[in-house]
Amino acid sequence: MNKSLMRYLLFSVSCIFCWSCASDYRYMEAVETNTDCISKLVPNQFNTSWYHASVDVVGKHISGLLLIKNMPDSSYRVVFTNEAGVTFFDFGFTRERSFKVYNIIKQLDKKPVIQTLQKDFELILGLPFRGATYQTYTMKEEVFFGAKQKKEIAYFITSKDCASLRRLELGSSRKRKVTVHLKGQQYPAPDKIELVHYTFNMQINLTRFEKE
Amino acid sequence: MPKDFSVSVLLIAAFLSCSTVASAQYDGYKPLADLTGFKKKFAIESAKVVSITSDFTQEKTLTALTEKITSSGKFWFKRNNRVRIEYLKPFVYLMIMDGDKMLVRDNEKENKINVKSNKLFQQVNRIMIDCVQGTILDSKDFTTKVFEDDKVFLLEMTPVSKALREFFKTIVLKVDKHDYSVNSIEMNEPEGDKTIISFKNKRLNEQVADAVFAL
Repeated sequence: MNKSLMRYLLFSVSCIFCWSCASDYRYMEAVETNTDCISKLVPNQFNTSWYHASVDVVGKHISGLLLIKNMPDSSYRVVFTNEAGVTFFDFGFTRERSFKVYNIIKQLDKKPVIQTLQKDFELILGLPFRGATYQTYTMKEEVFFGAKQKKEIAYFITSKDCASLRRLELGSSRKRKVTVHLKGQQYPAPDKIELVHYTFNMQINLTRFEKE
Repeated sequence: MPKDFSVSVLLIAAFLSCSTVASAQYDGYKPLADLTGFKKKFAIESAKVVSITSDFTQEKTLTALTEKITSSGKFWFKRNNRVRIEYLKPFVYLMIMDGDKMLVRDNEKENKINVKSNKLFQQVNRIMIDCVQGTILDSKDFTTKVFEDDKVFLLEMTPVSKALREFFKTIVLKVDKHDYSVNSIEMNEPEGDKTIISFKNKRLNEQVADAVFAL
């Protein structure tokens, strides 16, 4: 192998290595928090809705129906069944961020699975943004409203002019972990929700439908 | 999520499970006196059914949440072992079974599954065959009680295996006395939720093209 080729390869590997280490939030700039924008777009309320759901996890695909039920005490129940009606899981989320598994089939009853689903649905329901204190940043024509969690930061991200909610995100101080994209009508009853994990191969797609 | 987890298995199981609570009482029904005679007749009459084309309505009740969701679609069966279940409203979902092979298609993806590759699949497949062949009453997967009124036989089936008991407390199958075809399937889950699938506009032994079950 000649020297120039060796240098080129080393340079390429170094670039890839540096790129993978680079923070997803490295261009963020702290700005003053716009409380009017928070009041207008904060996604902290979810109306009772039925969704057709599909979940892709490490090459496996499952689908079914997902009910997000807004209970009279302002807690939520999230129930996932298959199309024929068999319940896979039934989770409860309270305003105070407590979590309860009402029902789950044996195949899903694993701590990492439950914890992942818990965090995913907490973000979709906007629970990190209830009564939160925000650190606000701008990056690439967007505004990031960050609510500190135990080990992570949950963001709801708006356009710079606060005209629209762009997406939700969960990340460490450096790395983006989960993004929730929204399409069509937005909170409190989003038409389409697409949740993507970046640390492993998992995606949840929800499409709202009206009951007959 | 476990590798062998398959929604499709559960879906089939749901369709096949004809359940209810052991020792449940059914208004207007009385226990069947001649169970042996019924088993024989059920097997003979079921064997006469070569094909079924039907509409269906499915109602899922989430008891604790006081929520109901109704869906509807079309159902086809053709001997031997071919089933097509197509949900049309309020969502689209298709499942086709042909012997050991199965296809599931939702809005996003299509999956082809070999039933033989999964023990639960095999069990469910056997139940399906028993239902189709009219030998479900001899199945070791369920203990069955039979009741009747003037027009309907009611089969209360309680799963024996732990795997099936996780999904169903009981399954109640209502069978038309006139032609021994299934009127409805009620699946009762351990936590109290239930799903009722009712068949209407049933047409027995009509010509059904093989293409309906193409995988």
